Amino acid sequence: MTTTTSPTTRTVLRAEGFSCPSCVSRIEKQVGRLPGVDDVKVRFASARVEVDHDPAVTSVDDLVAAVAQAGYTARPASF
Amino acid sequence: METRRDGRWTVPLVSGLLIGTSLVTDVLTSVTWPGRLMMVAAAIVAGTPIVRNAIRALTARVVGIDLLVSVAATGAVVIGEYWEAAAVTFLFAIGHALETATLDRTRSALAELVAVAPDVAVVVRDGQQVEVPAGEVAVGERVLVKNGAKVPVDGEVVDGTGALDESSITGESIPVEKVAGDRVFAGTIAKGGFLQVRATGVGADTTLARIVHRVEEAQDAKARTQQFMDRFSAWYTPAIIVLALFAGLLTGDVVLGLTLLVIGCPGALVISIPVSIVAGIGRAAKDGMLIKGGEFLETSARITAVALDKTGTLTEGRPRLTDVVVLDAGSDRGEVLTWAARAEAGSEHPLARPILAAAASDGRSTPDLPERTEPVPGKGIAATADGRRVLVGNAALLDAYVVDTVDTVGAGQAAAGLAAAGRTPMIVAVDDRVLGVIAVADQVRPDAAGMVADLHAAGVSEVVMLTGDVQLVAEAIGRTTGVDEVHAGLLPEDKLDAVAALQRAGHVVAMVGDGVNDAPALATADIGVAMGAAGSAVAVETADIALMADDLHKLPEAVSLARRTVDNMRQNITIALATVAFLLLGVLLGGVTMAIGMLVHEASVLLVIANAMRLLQPAPAPSRPPADPAGTITTGADRTRSPAASAR
Repeated sequence: MTTTTSPTTRTVLRAEGFSCPSCVSRIEKQVGRLPGVDDVKVRFASARVEVDHDPAVTSVDDLVAAVAQAGYTARPASF
Repeated sequence: METRRDGRWTVPLVSGLLIGTSLVTDVLTSVTWPGRLMMVAAAIVAGTPIVRNAIRALTARVVGIDLLVSVAATGAVVIGEYWEAAAVTFLFAIGHALETATLDRTRSALAELVAVAPDVAVVVRDGQQVEVPAGEVAVGERVLVKNGAKVPVDGEVVDGTGALDESSITGESIPVEKVAGDRVFAGTIAKGGFLQVRATGVGADTTLARIVHRVEEAQDAKARTQQFMDRFSAWYTPAIIVLALFAGLLTGDVVLGLTLLVIGCPGALVISIPVSIVAGIGRAAKDGMLIKGGEFLETSARITAVALDKTGTLTEGRPRLTDVVVLDAGSDRGEVLTWAARAEAGSEHPLARPILAAAASDGRSTPDLPERTEPVPGKGIAATADGRRVLVGNAALLDAYVVDTVDTVGAGQAAAGLAAAGRTPMIVAVDDRVLGVIAVADQVRPDAAGMVADLHAAGVSEVVMLTGDVQLVAEAIGRTTGVDEVHAGLLPEDKLDAVAALQRAGHVVAMVGDGVNDAPALATADIGVAMGAAGSAVAVETADIALMADDLHKLPEAVSLARRTVDNMRQNITIALATVAFLLLGVLLGGVTMAIGMLVHEASVLLVIANAMRLLQPAPAPSRPPADPAGTITTGADRTRSPAASAR
């Protein structure tokens, strides 16, 4: 799936309301389906979503929307 | 699963009201259908979000807890167990709303750290004050910090004075005075004054960002115990589903099968450890202690020996002049000091500085460098000033230079007496006349003895001092601070051996050091601790435990917090496993219905969360005898000027 030519960046979202570890795989699948997303890691303990994506294809706002689709509120982290 | 704050309680409330009304109707009327209808309605109200989440999970090919509850509740309605269906969905909904609310609380410590991140900065550009987002300040730009504002960047004060509340970084609540040349950290708050700061680190390259990042990584790092629990729950849920299928099919007892589905929810099993670790590591971070992760928490809880580097940990690391003994009848204190300072003015040796500082504060300026300065390795210094030969050093130096007819016995005795008291003595002689003896000593930090006592109280049996300093000096500090063992005269590789020897004796060893010449010993120790790490990006990134403030009491605090967190984890594991055992037995022996199963399950989840939240409470302060500020000891540099001795 990885296109080595696309300039990917890593975006970190901090989410709220992570209450069961099964939501982890749900978000990973939901966000992973987006075009231009190479890799998604959901960290349950610290409630973070780390995404490697091509911002030209899928923007940070698209990522937040996809997480919302899975039922969670997330905000992009400034650092 | 909806996390809209205002809507969180709507579903359980409506569903609960319907159940209540249904029960009342059953009592008041002999007709059964209105009550049943309301029970089904309650199950639908509470169950719809659960089913929706189950379907969402299924499309992502995940068999989650929601699916189990959905199947169980639907099955219950189908076979006419309306009360069970309503109770299971209602309890799950209310439990879930509570879990979401409380679980975020266990993450509150980190959320607060993220919240102190500054948003805007006032920078001076072309002589104008401009407000820009904190992340857009360029390194080297001048930033203004006004009273009440957050410091937006890491930097150095170039002008002005002010007091900063640095609690977000160091955990110390008392504001710190800042003057030109001092370092400041993003996320600290100005409590007075006005500072102009040159930015050295911005955005992700600030100490605060590094702390937040380290804490998040630490919370996610899985301890060995957690890997076991994860494996157990990964096996438990599918096993129960299979068991439910078989039990239902073989016995024809659908209720039994559905009840097993309900208790197959792995709830407390999967969160018992993460909640403790998140709360414990978060609490530590708020107090200015960064612990690298669950694995390190578990190791820290087993620490039985602490090895401390002496200089800068137990002592201030800044030698001061402590004694001037006049031996020559024709001289006075000032003269002895002046000649010593004259000789040392051209010296590079660490002992020169306290002598020069003492002379200067006495108003005895040392105008020019001596004509000639000759360091004598292992003995001292021989200088020529105003055409006279000045010696500052030990008895061996005197023997080498002074004619045999001069009596140096008194000087040797005075020097030995000072050395026995843990100071570094130097005999001062001009030409062939012994003027006196001066002594220099490092100061024991006022809270060093309290820290050692606290470590003992926290369950550390061996507190060991490692130093390159001479035995007499080391022993004097050992007596003052109450350490259990003193190892003196060590080179860096000897410190490693000392740590390894403790490990061979069966100890779990924490080593506190500055990370430069202690690096080998820090790497060998089970836990490497950096103190005063706020100023060092490397320490924040690499130390197993980084204590942000240069505060000795944080070390025993970190040890006891690690112990409390690990105890908390164990309690949670016990609760989770006991719940599983109880429910399995209860179902198989009869007596646990679907509703009771769900109630116990939710109660156990809330119990482990509530237990973990206890870690967020401030720890009880250990009772300490008041610190003894007395006690003077010597510097980490004795008079040897050999290459071997400089390696400390």
